[in-house]
Amino acid sequence: MLTVDKLNVEIEGTRVLRDLSLSLRSGVCTVLIGRNGAGKTTTLRSIMGLIPRISGTVVLEGREIQDLPANRRAGMGIGYAPEDRRLIPDFSIEENILLPTLALKLPAEERRERLNQVFDFLPQLKDLRARPGGGVSGGQGKMVALGRALTVADKVLFLDEPFQGLAPALALEYARTLSRLRKYRPDLALLITESTPALLREVADEELQIERGEILQTATA
Amino acid sequence: MLQTLIPLAVDALANAALIFFVAVGLTLVFSVLRILNVAHGSFYSIGAYVAASVGLWIVGAGLPDWLTFPALFLSAAVVAAILGPLLEKTLVSWTYGKSEAVQVLVTFALFLILEDLQRIVFGVQSVYQDTPMAMLGISEIGGIVYLNYQLLLIGFAAALLIALRIFITRSRTGRLLAAVVADREVSEALGIDTKRMFMIAFTLGVFLAALGGALATPTTGVSPGLGADTMVLAFAVAAIGGLGQVEGAAIASVIVAAAKVLAIYFAPSLDAVAPYLVMLAVLLVKPYGLFGSGSTRKI
Repeated sequence: MLTVDKLNVEIEGTRVLRDLSLSLRSGVCTVLIGRNGAGKTTTLRSIMGLIPRISGTVVLEGREIQDLPANRRAGMGIGYAPEDRRLIPDFSIEENILLPTLALKLPAEERRERLNQVFDFLPQLKDLRARPGGGVSGGQGKMVALGRALTVADKVLFLDEPFQGLAPALALEYARTLSRLRKYRPDLALLITESTPALLREVADEELQIERGEILQTATA
Repeated sequence: MLQTLIPLAVDALANAALIFFVAVGLTLVFSVLRILNVAHGSFYSIGAYVAASVGLWIVGAGLPDWLTFPALFLSAAVVAAILGPLLEKTLVSWTYGKSEAVQVLVTFALFLILEDLQRIVFGVQSVYQDTPMAMLGISEIGGIVYLNYQLLLIGFAAALLIALRIFITRSRTGRLLAAVVADREVSEALGIDTKRMFMIAFTLGVFLAALGGALATPTTGVSPGLGADTMVLAFAVAAIGGLGQVEGAAIASVIVAAAKVLAIYFAPSLDAVAPYLVMLAVLLVKPYGLFGSGSTRKI
């Protein structure tokens, strides 16, 4: 589905990703584990096209996309839920969820359809739909960010540290939601970053360890 | 007393209307592109020159006088359609992500270039074309005489304020712009073509400034230095209203214009400094302007 080959990225002169290669397959959940600063977020942002790369390729279904701007990659079916939720505070929850479909100029009925799919899968968001993005709790915000990413994630979904800052009960609920997601969208290629892998054991098919911008080993969970 | 105050108020509001066109464009460009464009005032004077020249040509060619009205809008649109994308794609986009000092220097250089280009193209003589104002004539209400064109300007500015609000809250492009203002990176990751949004916002800013200049021509002659004068007023308005605030720019335009008109009437020697005295007073109390804040970004 999506293959990253020998990706090298520098931020302000410092090499943060070194020959990073990974491969995501349809229906497979890959977890990228590493300490803070190991390069997890940078990996996702680079594949998304938010940071320029030095070298390396990113191939989505046989097409090289490493030179495309981020917005085009989103349009090709890559959904991204960044760290810290990053909802638009003035937009309602419904508008936040619909933002990618608006950006990608989907027809009105298709937008409605995708919104209903998100509400189907995450019914708790339906009650929040009119609230402003700045007026929901951290846990609710994570669900909104997941729903928003799902509206365009036709092929690949990136979740950046989804458990970060969640109370244990909410983290458990989020983990259950991910298990449900596996059944709800069985074809999706998932890449989740995490510093504490315990919560992801349930959903992970593959684990990758990242340290100082390098993938260390591949283990099958 | 009313005989004095009402004409002053109308004068202030008509002035405010023209300043608002420029200042709201400046503030819009700042919120989306995060660039304080020092050359923004030049679009006002270029709009004024082009509109006055086109108006003179229409009258000189013996075409119907009423054509000078659509010509004002058309002139601004042509200026924006040419200069907006051209400048954004070249000089302006080059400064994205660079330090504010570089952005100010580059846009100041652009200002100097545009000022000299105007001298070459339009000369240094004052250009005057008041057909639209003469056509509309005057009204006399309760013994006070009003220029109908001034009343029309106030109406245009009010309509623009409402139109901008609707554009930002209802239209697809307006929503995408608001998202880019709030969080550029996430917007891009969610599929918004931010480069295109930058060009749209910049071009819209050029159009609004040029329209302000075009609408000003029937009331005043156009001569060199107009761009700089307008720019400093627009900065004062943006600072008082809070950068990025559309409604703030509207209210601040009225405050600045009122200060200017009152100064001209009661203390003519303070005419030029009055807007800055108001700005100084506001910024001492509210450093981010009346409606701005240090953290949240809005449009």
